[in-house]
Amino acid sequence: MITALFDPPGPKARGRHRLLEVGAILLLVAVAATVIAMLASHEFFTPAAWTPFAQWGLWRLVGLGLLNNVAAAVVAMVLSMMAGVLLSFGLTSSAPAVHGVSRAVTAMLGSIPVLLLLFFASLMLPAWGLQLPDFWFLVIALTLYSGAVIGDLLAAGVRALPRGQSEAAAALGFSPTRTLVTILLPQAVRKIAPALVSQLVIVFKGTALAYVLGGYIELLHTATVIGSYYSQSSLQALVVAAVLFMLVNIGLSALSRAVERHERRRFGLRAASQVEQIVAAA
Amino acid sequence: MSFLVPHLAEFGQGILLTLALIVLGWAGALVLGTLLAALRVCPLRSARASAAAYVLVFRNVPLPVQMVLFVFGLPLVGIQLPLFASAAVVLVIYTAPFVAETLRAGMNTVSVGELEASRALGFSGAGALVNVVFPQAFASMVLPMGNVLITMVKNTSVAAIVGVAELTFVADKVAIAEVQPFIVLGGAAVAYIVIGLLLRRMITSLERKAAFAR
Repeated sequence: MITALFDPPGPKARGRHRLLEVGAILLLVAVAATVIAMLASHEFFTPAAWTPFAQWGLWRLVGLGLLNNVAAAVVAMVLSMMAGVLLSFGLTSSAPAVHGVSRAVTAMLGSIPVLLLLFFASLMLPAWGLQLPDFWFLVIALTLYSGAVIGDLLAAGVRALPRGQSEAAAALGFSPTRTLVTILLPQAVRKIAPALVSQLVIVFKGTALAYVLGGYIELLHTATVIGSYYSQSSLQALVVAAVLFMLVNIGLSALSRAVERHERRRFGLRAASQVEQIVAAA
Repeated sequence: MSFLVPHLAEFGQGILLTLALIVLGWAGALVLGTLLAALRVCPLRSARASAAAYVLVFRNVPLPVQMVLFVFGLPLVGIQLPLFASAAVVLVIYTAPFVAETLRAGMNTVSVGELEASRALGFSGAGALVNVVFPQAFASMVLPMGNVLITMVKNTSVAAIVGVAELTFVADKVAIAEVQPFIVLGGAAVAYIVIGLLLRRMITSLERKAAFAR
């Protein structure tokens, strides 16, 4: 589409583009210079602000913070896969009551903010006598949200399978549950694998919400703690945290693309476009 | 339920702030997202590269981190914005790449032949885009764009972590003050569900209008 949008530039247009390109680069350089000048004038680059980062212990703290994010994301992802499988039972069920209830639950959990779920977990569970560390409140909130999303994705993946799969299973005498568990879900999981990795990115980003509870030392919290110890480095600590979060997410996104490429190589182009449809429909 | 009466004004204010964040955030995200999508197909390489860099950074830094960085970090380099304004700006900055991506994917559902045919008939690039590609792309864009909007509605709650007194913030505060978490937080959840339902209804009716046989 991009190539058809413009005529191939002739000599005149190429000259104009070169001129515009130079102008755009100058503009970008000017913007970058302004930002750097502003940062420099507020002592962003002064060695004193960065000396705390020369300490090994501080990086250990940062690393531990990031590890805590990863741990919460992994546990929440595993639990939400389980919750998603359970929900997909209900979503693909032929009993109208079961189907209706699971649809209502997914729709509800899908429109409540994760932060509200987090507050809910952190206030309600202790009130019901469950004194858990903040880690579990975070994991429960993320699981409630992400489990609903994954349940939706799985159900859409199952629906996208050819009917022959479930018909053949029924002809061979498989019960509906066994058909789902041994035949339909494994294929659906493969189909939505790239979307699952994207969901992991979303869950990982969500772990930063634990900052608001204050009892779970994740990276954003670590950065603010560093900022309160070394007040001249508080902005620097936040920037370091943001860059680390970014790098992890870029890595995970690359993984998601690699999974998609792999599926495409295995099942051809159709499989990949189907994934897009499934994700859009879910 | 009488414990709620003294907080009614607060709740009203909270819902208003949430709605304001939704409206401002969505308007801004549509504008910035369209700009980003346009830059990504621009013939200038530097424009494409800067749009790609923007998307890479602002999509991959988690929203809570951007919120804290923007609200507590920018004053340190001499930029002071009102709290609500910064929250709205962060919401726009974070949502725009998703809008841009949805626009791009929607445009790609229109076959290249349509564009080539209209170019052959003498439409300019922009004319073909506006008159031929966009009306067709719109129909397939409504639902995914709606999903981006619903996600943004939920993301307005992240403003609570920097102290914007929107619905989630008020609900948490009142729930702690009155020691009635179930009713108060449940009520806030219902408010979000209602907002979500209304938006979904609007999106599906818009989709029905935009749909056409291809």
